[in-house]
Amino acid sequence: MDLQKRERRLAYKLMAPAMVVLLVVALYPLGHVFYTSFTDRVFAGARDAQFIGLENYHRLLAVTVEELPPVIDEETGEQQIDEETGKPVYERPIRVLPRQPHAYRELTTFSLFGSRYVLGARTPNFIRAIGNTLYFTIVSVFLETVLGLLIALVVNSEFKGRGLMRATMLVPWAVITVVSARMWEWMFASSRAGFFNMLLDRFGLIDRSIPFLTLRSFQVPAMIAIDVWKTTPFMALLILAGLQMIPQELYEAARVDGAGKIRRFFTITLPLLKPAIAVALVFRTLDALRVFDLFQVLLARSRYSMASFNYYELVANRNMGLSSATGVIIFIIIFIFAIIYMQMLGVEE
Amino acid sequence: MVNFRERPVKSILFLLMLAVIIVYLLFPFYWAINSSLKTESQLFMTPATMIPRDPVTLEFRPYWGNYIHIFQSGQFVRGLRNSVIVATLATLLALSVGTFAAFALGKLRFRGKTASLYIILAMTMFPQVTILAGLYAIITRLPLGTIPGMIFSYLIFTLPFTTWVMTSFFKDLPIEIMQSAQVDGATPFQTFYKILLPLTAPALVTCGLLAFIQAWNEYIFALTFTAIDPGARTVPVAIALFTGEAAMQEPMGETLAAAVVVTVPVVVLVLIFQNRIVEGLTAGAVKG
Repeated sequence: MDLQKRERRLAYKLMAPAMVVLLVVALYPLGHVFYTSFTDRVFAGARDAQFIGLENYHRLLAVTVEELPPVIDEETGEQQIDEETGKPVYERPIRVLPRQPHAYRELTTFSLFGSRYVLGARTPNFIRAIGNTLYFTIVSVFLETVLGLLIALVVNSEFKGRGLMRATMLVPWAVITVVSARMWEWMFASSRAGFFNMLLDRFGLIDRSIPFLTLRSFQVPAMIAIDVWKTTPFMALLILAGLQMIPQELYEAARVDGAGKIRRFFTITLPLLKPAIAVALVFRTLDALRVFDLFQVLLARSRYSMASFNYYELVANRNMGLSSATGVIIFIIIFIFAIIYMQMLGVEE
Repeated sequence: MVNFRERPVKSILFLLMLAVIIVYLLFPFYWAINSSLKTESQLFMTPATMIPRDPVTLEFRPYWGNYIHIFQSGQFVRGLRNSVIVATLATLLALSVGTFAAFALGKLRFRGKTASLYIILAMTMFPQVTILAGLYAIITRLPLGTIPGMIFSYLIFTLPFTTWVMTSFFKDLPIEIMQSAQVDGATPFQTFYKILLPLTAPALVTCGLLAFIQAWNEYIFALTFTAIDPGARTVPVAIALFTGEAAMQEPMGETLAAAVVVTVPVVVLVLIFQNRIVEGLTAGAVKG
């Protein structure tokens, strides 16, 4: 049919600009990154890049486990005991970890079945970056979902000023991420000039101010706190939209059948909300896995996320090959998460 | 829910919960405003004060110097200008290219449509950081200039987003409109241009606003590409790298004043368009 052919031709014409743009801004750089990840290319380097196979990937991901032999006291023939801590002494990790052909550095040590082991990596910072990112993602997305559901349920009930409430919820979402990082940086300030230390001090909970952003155990939780503040409202709005699509008759019918409030929540609200929550969860997880702004602005090089590691490798170390390999690894990790979600939730088309 | 006469305890608990949520959402922003109105010495008063107070007399005394300074400093004003240019052009480009594609995807029949839809959807979740090194190599090699380079690279997230959201709007338009236009002898392109486009104007505004906010927010590309060209820094980069006139000292008051200045217009826009935005966000996400 002539009309059909014309329609098809028009469709291709309309699609062409978008496809060309995507080809240039996404597909070409993606191919470039994939190719470069197998080379030792250095940005603005004088010599030509060499093809080095999987070396970049090995350098980023290689880990090894070595047993730490006990240090034997020459006089007694038994294992030395540290005089201060009273703990048995083992060989130092740096002496056990392989140095040839590649140097491994200590990631962590652990005990198993009475022996002491060291976990070493060629690039401990990247392995830690993966750990930091996963920790950040899992905890923040979990908290955002629970809090988002809670806020959505509260806002969903009838009350005056509901529109105003919904507007308020958009405020944190509208704040630029870098700006929210700096706002919270000041609230986290390490003296009582900072809001949190002032508060903790006022309630007599601390003797000395806590340097939230430099203390290792507080660093990632601080990032999580900022992310939860900024994205919970978004999550709540998506869940709210799902809530409003649930027909009221279902609740009426359940009430007539004598179902209590909690029962109604678990048998009606939650199952019918599942698609909305699922989509929000997928979006947030894939977003959290590429977290960059918070880590780069607040922690710089003291603690990396996968994305900020990539950035510093590229801009500060000018190591394009390694940075590209990092990009590919991030891509694969996010891809795996996407597949797991699709499988778990059975996302319908 | 709120009914003091019948259920006083429940109502009070409910209002309390609302209050907690509102304070949680707004307090950090309040704290930034409060701190941006303090002088250096007021900022480092311990314990911190809930409003700007005079260090000696403890009277309420706001200080506007931080706001005056940032508008006198070249880096912030230049950042604002760069951000407006980059975000506006990236949005307009994405809207024009994306709307054409969205019309085809939403209303026309052609081979490869499903595949194209999947590609667009996958692209909306594409991790930008993956291609950072590749884009950096291309942009530094092309004689394009940093700002056009940024605009172009921002299409990687604005284009799939606008295409996806506009497709769902086109899909929702009744097919009868197109059919009656065809009966009247209009070509598909005329139908698109004269009938469907005006109908989707509200959707275009929403979609454009959301794309604009994404571009306004963007940090990793801007930071990387302006590393060699500080004059092209956008607002997020300027705020992240804010330096005071005195070296080695972090001008927190000015940073927070800048933070407030860039947030207020976006918040106002968002509040004006709040209903549309919620619709747009849910169209972008839920219908995915």
